[in-house]
Amino acid sequence: MKAFTKERGTLALLDWSDVNTDVIIPARYLKRIERTGYGPLLFADKRYVAGGAPPVDDPVKGGALDTAFPLNQPKYEKASILVVGKNFGCGSSREHAVWAVEQAGFRVMIAPGKNEGFADIFEGNALNNGLLVVELSDDDWSKVAQAARADAPIEADVDLGTNVLKVFAADGAFSVRFDLAEGPRQKLLKGLDAIGETLQHAMAISRYEQGAPPWAARPGVSV
Amino acid sequence: MPATLFDKVWDRHVVTGDDQTALLYIDRHLVHEVTSPQAFEGLRLAGRKVRRPDLTFATPDHNVPTDNQLDIREPMSRRQVETLRSNCREFGLTLYDVGSGRQGIVHVIGPELGITLPGLTIVCGDSHTSTHGAFGALAFGIGTSEVEHVLATQTLMQGARPKSLGIEVMGRLPEGLGPKDIILAIIRRIGTGGGTGCVIEYHGSAISSLSMEGRMTICNMSIEGGARAGLIAPDETTFEYIATGERPFAPRGQALEAAIADWKTLRTEDSSQFDERVSIDASRLVPQVTWGTNPGMTVDVTARVPEPDDVPFASKEDARRALDYMGLQPGTPIMDIPVDVVFIGSCTNGRIEDLRVAARVFAGRKVAPGVRALVVPGSEAVRAQAHAEGLDRVFEAAGAEWRLSGCSMCLAMNPDKLTPGQRAASTSNRNFEGRQGPGGRTHLVSPAMAAAAAVTGRFADVRQLLDQEA
Repeated sequence: MKAFTKERGTLALLDWSDVNTDVIIPARYLKRIERTGYGPLLFADKRYVAGGAPPVDDPVKGGALDTAFPLNQPKYEKASILVVGKNFGCGSSREHAVWAVEQAGFRVMIAPGKNEGFADIFEGNALNNGLLVVELSDDDWSKVAQAARADAPIEADVDLGTNVLKVFAADGAFSVRFDLAEGPRQKLLKGLDAIGETLQHAMAISRYEQGAPPWAARPGVSV
Repeated sequence: MPATLFDKVWDRHVVTGDDQTALLYIDRHLVHEVTSPQAFEGLRLAGRKVRRPDLTFATPDHNVPTDNQLDIREPMSRRQVETLRSNCREFGLTLYDVGSGRQGIVHVIGPELGITLPGLTIVCGDSHTSTHGAFGALAFGIGTSEVEHVLATQTLMQGARPKSLGIEVMGRLPEGLGPKDIILAIIRRIGTGGGTGCVIEYHGSAISSLSMEGRMTICNMSIEGGARAGLIAPDETTFEYIATGERPFAPRGQALEAAIADWKTLRTEDSSQFDERVSIDASRLVPQVTWGTNPGMTVDVTARVPEPDDVPFASKEDARRALDYMGLQPGTPIMDIPVDVVFIGSCTNGRIEDLRVAARVFAGRKVAPGVRALVVPGSEAVRAQAHAEGLDRVFEAAGAEWRLSGCSMCLAMNPDKLTPGQRAASTSNRNFEGRQGPGGRTHLVSPAMAAAAAVTGRFADVRQLLDQEA
């Protein structure tokens, strides 16, 4: 996994609540067995005009963009920090949703409400892919969202070393602090290989297995 | 001394860790074709093996056609199922393939085969893994990176322990209602994010009187309330289910006796120990129907489509978007809404008991003109059982399509899908936009209510249909 330390980029805002993973990436694209190529599929049934979503077997070929979709506004075109509503990523466990967000060019997501901003599985998947997910208080989130409503692109700095988000809003810059549990934070900062880390506990895992009851350790055991 | 069922199961599985992070041992890993290819590829790239092939079980379910399972004509679907087959061969995993007699939706076959047991940790790259919590297992969905992690290490690194949410369901469920009505009423109450960061334990008289099938329907939709998992304490109903039938991976003989003695300790000692609590009176419920685009957007069948500023947990704008997508006017009686398609099946309601309930409504009636009704058993074993009971003949006499097993129209990865604008009464778990096909409109209901909609051509109160029989 690639490390995340800081990001300087522009904001984009999708002010919808309960955006589910079927909307983030429709299930038909999950027939792909690759791990890349999901960027053009992000919000496929929202982002293109009717009938314009890329075909399943050729995901690069999308039709014209639907100008009514908030993220298609020209000011958000180069954004790398995605500001979203509560409970983003609810629904299925598909990691393709995170791959799509990340491969569409986003490195940070910001949602409102401590423990309410992102659905649990989406949040875990994001952190496993080096995508920083930040949950702010409703008040702080509103300030960031308001900044992103400006007519021109708005820049922001996200620093995981200091846990500070600085937004260069049209009416002046402001900073807010954010929290992330120390475990995932260190993992992001160091870009650690999760499996490699766990395999350092191989002895403990073997010891656990030796102590497990037979009915748990051996499916179909009869003695 | 851990106080709740969840705490007990969690604590048993901590290999190493502290309050903030825990390496959890995973007892059973279920694998399907959609979320695993990239995980196997990751193993190959790193030169890693599957640590415990004997604890890992695979089946193709999402992509399989329900008319002819052996002939997957859609090339992308065929490639994905063939990739699962070759990965299982390469890594030495047990695969329940189509035609084996035991293929089916991963959350239907796990319990059938005895893979699912109380007190275990069970994961799958699929959010509806919460289903297995019906046995008192800690079961939850994971992403593909975690699938790879479990394949390689048989463990998962977890953050701080989730909170516990105790949901008590009291009272006797009225005739004509089923477990689906209970869980829809719960999600309606707590919202789709109400369980975020929590593991739910369902308890109370209306839960303990349910069969294992009914408990699975409840736990299955825990994720629709945002919860990481949902559990029900194992009891005699659980032990009876495990001890009977052809379940090759359940313990037998002395091992089963020892297991049951242990499983009897898996209960919450004191319900005041839950971090949060909710209580529902089942005796006051009426059949539930979703009107919107998430499972919290639910009303009574006797009610009307709500005004956009009268939708709990949704802003006016969000509610209006949902109404627009669903093509509904506020104030419309639910029972005035016609349906085009009825889908009975899925990991929520594709078990034998669900089919029995639906057959009872279909018996002696016909699917309404212009309505397409699909009945899709959750597994090959459920299909065989339905045949043995003659349910297939009831469905076909009514004019419903009796199909082969798989996920089918729940998420439309196989050829069973809605066309744009079509409206479905569905026993599945998600009414998200496009879930059953781009532009399709989904209303979630119980199997009895789905069958009632099929024969009426619009949403109907199944209690009235059942009254006509009495």
